[in-house]
Amino acid sequence: MNKQKAKPSDGLIRQNIVLMSGLLIGPVIAGAKDFMSAAAIAVVFSLITFFSVALCRLMPRKMVYTVRIIVYALVASVLYIPAVLTCRFLLGEEVTVSAGIYLPVLVVNHVILSKTETRFFHLPYFQMLLDVLGYIAGFVFVCLLTGIIRDILVNSAIGTLSIETGLSMPALETTFGGFIIVGVLAGICRAVYNRRTRQLTVDSRDLTVNKKSKESGVGE
Amino acid sequence: MQLFASLFNAAILAVFLQNSIFERALGPNILIYASRKREHVIGFSLVIIYATTLSSVIAWILDRNFSDRDYFGIVMPLLYILVISLVYILSLVLVWRFLPKVFGKIKTYVHLSVFNCSVLGALFLSSQFGESLAGYIGFGIGTGLGFFLAGYLLYIAHPRLNSELVPAAFRGLPITLVYIGIISLALYAFVGYATR
Repeated sequence: MNKQKAKPSDGLIRQNIVLMSGLLIGPVIAGAKDFMSAAAIAVVFSLITFFSVALCRLMPRKMVYTVRIIVYALVASVLYIPAVLTCRFLLGEEVTVSAGIYLPVLVVNHVILSKTETRFFHLPYFQMLLDVLGYIAGFVFVCLLTGIIRDILVNSAIGTLSIETGLSMPALETTFGGFIIVGVLAGICRAVYNRRTRQLTVDSRDLTVNKKSKESGVGE
Repeated sequence: MQLFASLFNAAILAVFLQNSIFERALGPNILIYASRKREHVIGFSLVIIYATTLSSVIAWILDRNFSDRDYFGIVMPLLYILVISLVYILSLVLVWRFLPKVFGKIKTYVHLSVFNCSVLGALFLSSQFGESLAGYIGFGIGTGLGFFLAGYLLYIAHPRLNSELVPAAFRGLPITLVYIGIISLALYAFVGYATR
């Protein structure tokens, strides 16, 4: 991987693990049914992923991947214990329970199991930590956004804050509702990103043409 | 007969009502990856059936002996990962030793098909829904069959979902998620919204 091309903002938009690469979509689709559940998933994911990658990155690369993947999963499942205790402390027992099996399944998320191999191992340690934070921020943003959208459309509220919308769409709380919401968000995100990238390409092309024409004296 | 009925019920529950993809959204990323090739759909499904069934037997022993402890819920992921790792490493050594051709074929994706939300989630769901050993085994088999059903439905739609008929921004992942959502909605009719 080209070290110079890796930016901490990659995980936020260009390689967002939910909307762009789809590496971790299950907990957002079925777990983030409301704002509080989404917050619980975001807290546990952030803690497990950051510390797991920070520790696993220190492992020798000589070890074969067959064994490394087991160590990654084991490290993440050990870190799950303090992560879920922190979540209980911050958001309460009830919220943690309401997230159901979508908290423990985060220990086999592919940011830890795959991205560590394909990306994080190729970066210097501190740059890698920033990069991981970018990926975490991207996930947290989408997870909370999905939770907020569903909370507003289903419960007319965001967490404990009541919002009178006059709408009630309880089907959006279901798994199929989650698939459709995340699918539409992914489409919108890609459309905005593609448009922005096209715009930047056109701008840079114009800049190059102007520079060349100035150098050759055309238009003077 | 009672044993078979229990196994069959659990398998049906896992295929349709608690389908790992359509109902639980456990591992849609793996499914999308696997659905690009028919061999991958079959290979992933077989590995998932094998891993969940075998892990479920060990999980049943653990659940029976430790589920009444206070801390069990919080150490469950660690225990289940240990179980999956044990099944993974032992199976891989056996396949490598006795079926080298099969090993050559599966080595590129076996880690993805074992360490994913579908397998780990199946163990958690087994502990919720599988009351007996037959229930656990049935749920394990059903999880893999459910994955195959979802994978095959996605495989046959794959060319259309990635065709130029779909707007560029929605091509690939976004339209695939919407498509899975629509099938999920259809399967939802098996349960019925009001009865949930």
